[in-house]
Amino acid sequence: MSQAGSKKGAVSKLNKNAAINSLIVFVVLLLAWVAGFASRLFAVIRFESIIHEFDPWFNYRATAYMVKHGFYNFLNWFDERAWYPLGRIVGGTVYPGLMLTSGSIHWILHLLHINVHIRDICVFLAPIFSGLTAISTYLLTRELWSSGAGLFAACFIAIVPGYISRSVAGSYDNEGIAIFALQFTYFLWIKSVKTGSVFWAVSAAVSYFYMVSAWGGYVFIINLIPLHVFVLLLMGRYSNRLFTSYTTFYILGLIMSMQIPFVGFQPIRTSEHMAAAGVFALLFAVAVLKYLQSMMSKSEFKSLVIWGGLVSAGLVFATVVGLTYAGYIAPWSGRFYSLWDTGYAKIHIPIIASVSEHQPTTWFSFFFDLHVLIPTFPAGLWYCIKHVNDERVFVILYALSAVYFAGVMVRLMLTLTPVVCMLSGVAFSVILEMYLREEDSTPAIENEEEESSQNPKRLYDKAGKVPKIIKHESKEQDAIGQNIRSIAAVVFVLLLMLFAVHCTWVTSNAYSSPSIVLASYGSDGTRQILDDFREAYFWLSQNTADDARVMSWWDYGYQIAGMANRTTLVDNNTWNNSHIALVGKAMSSNESAAYEIMTALDVDYVLVIFGGVIGYSGDDINKFLWMVRIAEGEHPKDIRESDYFTEQGEFRVDAEGSPTLLNCLMYKLSYYRFGDLRLDYRSPSGFDRTRNAVIGNKDINLTYLEEAYTSEHWLVRIYRVKKPDEFNRPRIPVANRVIKSSSFVSKKSTKRKKGTIKNKPVIVKGKRPAVKLQ
Amino acid sequence: MKNPIILIFAFIVAAKAQGNTLVLLDNQVIKETHSIFFKSLQDRGYTLTFKIADDSSLVLSKYGEYLYENLIIFAPSVIEFGGNLNVDTITQFIDNGGNVLVAGSESTGDILRELASEVGFEVDEEGAFVIDHLNYDSSDEGQHTKLVVSSENLIDAPVIVGIKKNIAPILYQGTGILADSENPLVLPLLTADSTAYSYQPDQAIKEYPHAIGKDTVLIAGLQARNNARIVFSGSLSFFSDEYFTSPVEKVSGDLKSAKSGNEDVAVAISQWVFKEHGRLRVKAVQHHKAGENAPPHDYTIMDDVVYKIGIEIYDNGKWKPFSANDVQLEFVRIDPFVRTTLKSNANGVYEAKFKIPDVYGVYQFKVDYDRVGFTRLYSTTQVSVRPLQHTQYERFIDSAYPYYTSAFSMMLGLFVFSIVFLHMKDDEKKSKNE
Repeated sequence: MSQAGSKKGAVSKLNKNAAINSLIVFVVLLLAWVAGFASRLFAVIRFESIIHEFDPWFNYRATAYMVKHGFYNFLNWFDERAWYPLGRIVGGTVYPGLMLTSGSIHWILHLLHINVHIRDICVFLAPIFSGLTAISTYLLTRELWSSGAGLFAACFIAIVPGYISRSVAGSYDNEGIAIFALQFTYFLWIKSVKTGSVFWAVSAAVSYFYMVSAWGGYVFIINLIPLHVFVLLLMGRYSNRLFTSYTTFYILGLIMSMQIPFVGFQPIRTSEHMAAAGVFALLFAVAVLKYLQSMMSKSEFKSLVIWGGLVSAGLVFATVVGLTYAGYIAPWSGRFYSLWDTGYAKIHIPIIASVSEHQPTTWFSFFFDLHVLIPTFPAGLWYCIKHVNDERVFVILYALSAVYFAGVMVRLMLTLTPVVCMLSGVAFSVILEMYLREEDSTPAIENEEEESSQNPKRLYDKAGKVPKIIKHESKEQDAIGQNIRSIAAVVFVLLLMLFAVHCTWVTSNAYSSPSIVLASYGSDGTRQILDDFREAYFWLSQNTADDARVMSWWDYGYQIAGMANRTTLVDNNTWNNSHIALVGKAMSSNESAAYEIMTALDVDYVLVIFGGVIGYSGDDINKFLWMVRIAEGEHPKDIRESDYFTEQGEFRVDAEGSPTLLNCLMYKLSYYRFGDLRLDYRSPSGFDRTRNAVIGNKDINLTYLEEAYTSEHWLVRIYRVKKPDEFNRPRIPVANRVIKSSSFVSKKSTKRKKGTIKNKPVIVKGKRPAVKLQ
Repeated sequence: MKNPIILIFAFIVAAKAQGNTLVLLDNQVIKETHSIFFKSLQDRGYTLTFKIADDSSLVLSKYGEYLYENLIIFAPSVIEFGGNLNVDTITQFIDNGGNVLVAGSESTGDILRELASEVGFEVDEEGAFVIDHLNYDSSDEGQHTKLVVSSENLIDAPVIVGIKKNIAPILYQGTGILADSENPLVLPLLTADSTAYSYQPDQAIKEYPHAIGKDTVLIAGLQARNNARIVFSGSLSFFSDEYFTSPVEKVSGDLKSAKSGNEDVAVAISQWVFKEHGRLRVKAVQHHKAGENAPPHDYTIMDDVVYKIGIEIYDNGKWKPFSANDVQLEFVRIDPFVRTTLKSNANGVYEAKFKIPDVYGVYQFKVDYDRVGFTRLYSTTQVSVRPLQHTQYERFIDSAYPYYTSAFSMMLGLFVFSIVFLHMKDDEKKSKNE
């Protein structure tokens, strides 16, 4: 009886605890969402509700187009204003997930008569999705470790700068929703591996489909999941659950991913996707072997495994190599090569190396973006390795590969961030469970009980280990004194507080600038807004012909199209290297050679960014060497990088700079009239604040272009390209004249306007009235 | 006070009016000695305003509007123009579309030389004549400077100088002109014979003459890129009544005529320079898909497209259809993808039909008709050529039939299998129950 009573009491207590637990989970997740949302609003509060940077402008423009013209027109959208005169098929070269997401939000809100402008949806999409990311991270971590670790992970990911950097309000980019899709797909995958249910596998495939539609980083998923399966096979952890979930996921995911026009046949034709297919085949081979094992004797089976394995592996390898040589499978693309060989891009594809996001990561940025999570996540990883099971293998692989990739490219810091949050969540939860156990040891234990009681017949291996180990460790902890325990607790709580402070500081200082509106602070703390970009783009949209073609370096292509609505030659969708090289060649040649290229491309205006007046370092002169390098890649006869350096191998804009540099179009356009400008009394005229040098060519004359507009702080300079008919009569330059004429002195003055005629008869003067009468 | 009246008068006779012309003279005598030329202009409807070149009230424009369309400078010895006129204002006048006819002489001043250099030719030094010891007129005074030039030496362009065959030999006395060989726009309207050279006749030849043989241009023309026309003659007397009416007899005898060809050539040149001849314009451009009438928003690759362009020529004060058989159309995206000759219809409408290439992008229909003597006809029309829409691809492909078959057979197989499977189970259960 007493046993039964206590059981009954335990059940009610358990229910009560479950209710409290779920309330805590709900509240924490809600707060994480709110905090994550709020901390992403710095840019909106400081500046305004505006789309940031470069790529978001295209996404916004595409979304607005889709909302206005409908989905099918968007799918078939041929953008004649980009990549003039090649044009761009937007529907086939874009991951439409982002536009579809905000488009459907817009549609639903308008269905409910909540009339929100599409721009506001675009601006706030990433902060809203950061909450969903936090929830899916919680779900994934709960599957991997425990609910507590999940809550930690959710809170971490809500505010961690590594993720905020891509998801502040206004940063309307694919990554904003892709990280959610990534985490959610992984959660569903883990769920399906755990349960072996077709339902979860199908859900994982659907979520994967969403990810494919949203971001090119889906390749990470389609390589990591097969890697997980492969490692599980190597570890001898094959099970029917694994077979069911992977085969379902792979086939459905494959078919669905091919529905995205931009992806098309890539999943079956490129090397990046071959690992998934290989693992698929391998899984079947293993399944067949397992089946045969049950029918054969041990020795027979051994030889079968060895021979069959060798032959089939050789066969598969030979097929892939053969198909690659025959051209059916595309070899690794340059972007992926640069992941293995970090020097590859610099030598072969300067266009990839030129992007700052593609530079190798510095240690500084690891700490800057992840702070306390960097030292704690190895601890979490260690716990996972120590208590390994099917799904923890996954998170280990995830962590190792993401760390590697994040080291190669700054941009891939983004894929590292979620796993670091999860593993740090694990570490913190373990540590705090250790040190705070006395106060709430019972719920912690009951938590485990609850978990196991939910699924008493759960078969997956070693699940039961977790509570045991914690109990085991807690025994160890008993030796720790009360003081040390509380000190440790306080230290860790302080650490977490410091983390929160750091996150807020980084977010507010580093990641909340829209970069199209700049702010500078005076010595007295007053803030000055430099709105040159929008000023210049607005000028373009108001003062140029609707079909005017603007040449600029590709960084500004999306902004020109988005804000000024003018045709651009190249933009941030860097799909055509030779076209970019042509623009690079025009920028790095002298004026007359550039004019030939510009007339061939029908250029009407040239736009350059010049930071010398205000000391803005991201201007075109600082990017100039990349233009030269990219141009040299395609036109090695005309452009040579070494011509732009001094004999000492320096890149300098002052009088000692190389003459090629001082006379190239980009230099002339940047510094035109700058030689006359004196910024303050301490520095000479023509002093470039960005490069701290007095420019070398102060007397710049333009023949083929004329200045059309220069913004307030000279940040944006726009030049008009003269049409051929403006060089009306080819005059003979004085130096080339065969017959030299004597120097001419005018005898006219303001009063005496009469000219002179040789040998003029004197009488004519008297006859002048007669002339008028005719 | 006179100018407004002249303007009003000009409006009244607008039907035939060819526009205001300012004539700058060395002295009033020239007006009389060149009266035939001026008369022919006035007969054709030009309003001539005669001024002495050093007149202090000379202006070409007022309040940004040009008072004249054409400028004749028959003042070779001017050193400095009066009033507002100088080389800069005249070149500006040209850049704004004004036409200029200049006649120099052996005493051409530096200011005209400067003006000539601005438009791509050079006038020989002061005092230099074109001398030809073989082809001079019998009335020559001994220096062999009054040349008889065969009409064969005229430029091969009937629009500018008229039909060569019908023109009598031409009399010429004056300085030589050097054309800039690198300038593609300069037209040598009349060149000297191969035995001619340009030098001061009363001096011994010490240095190599600036112009020799056929390189010595007597009358040079230029059509600027904005279609403004400039003609520079090295001889003022070329336009004189005396030369217009006098008989021609070359010393060696084979060229002889009762009346020189000067009048014909001078009138033809004046018609050309003041744009009575050789003025083309685009009347209308139409393009559409074959079988339709209106231009589409954008074309799709492999569309059949029809392009029509109407071209007109200015003739006797009216725009009339222009007929030629060498007008070409290019379909350009950086490089021309299609280049075809336009077929001429009646009414000066030219038409081409072609298939758009299988390359998408932003193209231009480009007609660039640039012939000697005619104004440049340049017309571009930008169109987008888009790839196929998702609904425009083939729905069923022959080579894919094995896949269709396999898909449907798979579905059928699964259906059959599930029926069999279900029934098998029933049997088993029954057998178990039994």
